[in-house]
Order: sequence, then structure tokens, then C-alpha cells
Amino acid sequence: MSALALYQLVAVMLFCIGIYGVTWRRSLVGMLISVELMLNGAGLSIVAAAQLTPASAVLGQLATLLVMGLAAAEATLVLAIIIVIARRFETTETDAVPELKG
Amino acid sequence: MEVLAKIAFGMYALIILCGGAVTVTAQSLVRALIGLIATLFAVAGMYLLLAAPLIAFMQILIYVGAVCVLIFFAIMLTRASGEGKEAATPTARPAHQYANAVLVLLAPAVFLSWVIIRHPAKSVPVPAKVTVAELGKGLLEPYTLSFELISVVLLVAMAGAVLLIWEKRRKE
Repeated sequence: MSALALYQLVAVMLFCIGIYGVTWRRSLVGMLISVELMLNGAGLSIVAAAQLTPASAVLGQLATLLVMGLAAAEATLVLAIIIVIARRFETTETDAVPELKG
Repeated sequence: MEVLAKIAFGMYALIILCGGAVTVTAQSLVRALIGLIATLFAVAGMYLLLAAPLIAFMQILIYVGAVCVLIFFAIMLTRASGEGKEAATPTARPAHQYANAVLVLLAPAVFLSWVIIRHPAKSVPVPAKVTVAELGKGLLEPYTLSFELISVVLLVAMAGAVLLIWEKRRKE
């Protein structure tokens, strides 16, 4: 098996652990942590594909940098949403906040 | 050198697996965050093995330095108890929830692994060498638009976060 396939398999592992966490976690903060795992899997896959194939390496590394920037923006917004929910419902457990409109 | 790289790869993969398992299964959210940090460091090690040192440092700087601190703030600001337990009263889950979670874990894992193993891409054994100067040039010449857009996205996210919390406070 080539080195590229090994790196891609590790990235798939990260992604799947993350998606399992999103379904399994009971609180919004736990889901946020799992989403970060998934984004890391994506970043690792992009860098491996850029560095180990004849494709443009600069493009791949810059794409991963952009993914990191998006992850930071996403974490900021999710933090704000979690704080709003915590103030309104006084909990961040997903089972306790089933309504969308309230 | 070849053997050392393989040993390092195996070690990082093991840390990623264990850290990821801790991240999604730990009862305490603070422990889950520690698992996430371990995983992020191992992924940074993988970037170093791929000859992308700038990405590895950015991984540590942005993820461990900023995102993890942000998540820690989220835990701190939303939790009255100091223990950081995820659920105040952990209840047993019905069996179909276990089945769903395992299905969600296995379906993409099996499909994506099958695609990777059955249809291998044409790859080179040694990672490409990219200097930081080339990356900076790429960011400022062909990919300027995405560079500017990501800064706008970050600004909007920051302003949106402030706005979300501000409105709530004004009503009180």
C-alpha cells in the first residue's frame, strides 16, 4: 500500500471518529469538539493528497490553511450560539432543547 | 531514516486513534478536550512527516492555541458545576441509539476505505518540497481572492458572535 493510501486511511479514521462523536454526544460542546475532529481529518487528507501526488503542493497547503481559518470562524459562532442557548434554557444538553422556535 | 519515519507514523496514528476515542467517549468534557488536544498534536506530527512544517505550526497555533481555548471557554461559561460532566443525570440509552451510532461510524468508514484501497491514486513516494516563500507568493498572487474572503469570513463571524450575545443582554 502506498504512503498516500495510509495517510488517507488515517484521515478517514479521524473523520469517522468525529462523525460518531457528533451522533453520540449529548451536549452541544461535545458535538463542537467532534466537528473539530472531522475538520482535522479533512485537512490531513488534503495535505496528504497535495504532498504525495503530482498535483500542486502550494494549492493543497493553502487549502488546508483556509480550512483552519474556517474552523476558527465556525468555533467562534458556535460558542456564541451555545452561550445564547445556555442563557435561555440553562442547559446545553441536546435532549433538553428540542424546539426550534421558542 | 525510512524505518524511523514508519515508526513515527505508527506512533502518531496510535495517538490519533486513542485521542479520538477519548475525545468522543469521555464522560467529562474537560477530558474530552484533552483528548482532542493530543489528537491535534499527533496530526501536526503527521504534517511534519508530510514535509509541511508551516501547516504543522499553524495547526498548533490555530487549533491548540485558539480553538481549544475557545472550546474551554465554552465549557466554562455554560457549566455551573466544576466537574464538567456532560450530562447532569446520565440516563441509559435505548439499544437502537447504539445501533444507529455504530452504523453511522461504519458506513462512511467501510465505503471510503474501500474507495481508497480499490482505486489508489497515482502517488509519489517522497513528499513535495514547498518553501514558505512559495506559500506566501501563492497566497498573494493566484489565490488573493480566497485570502481576502477568509478574512471577511472571520470578521463576520466575530461580529456575529458579538451581536448574538449583545442582543440578549440588552433585553434583560
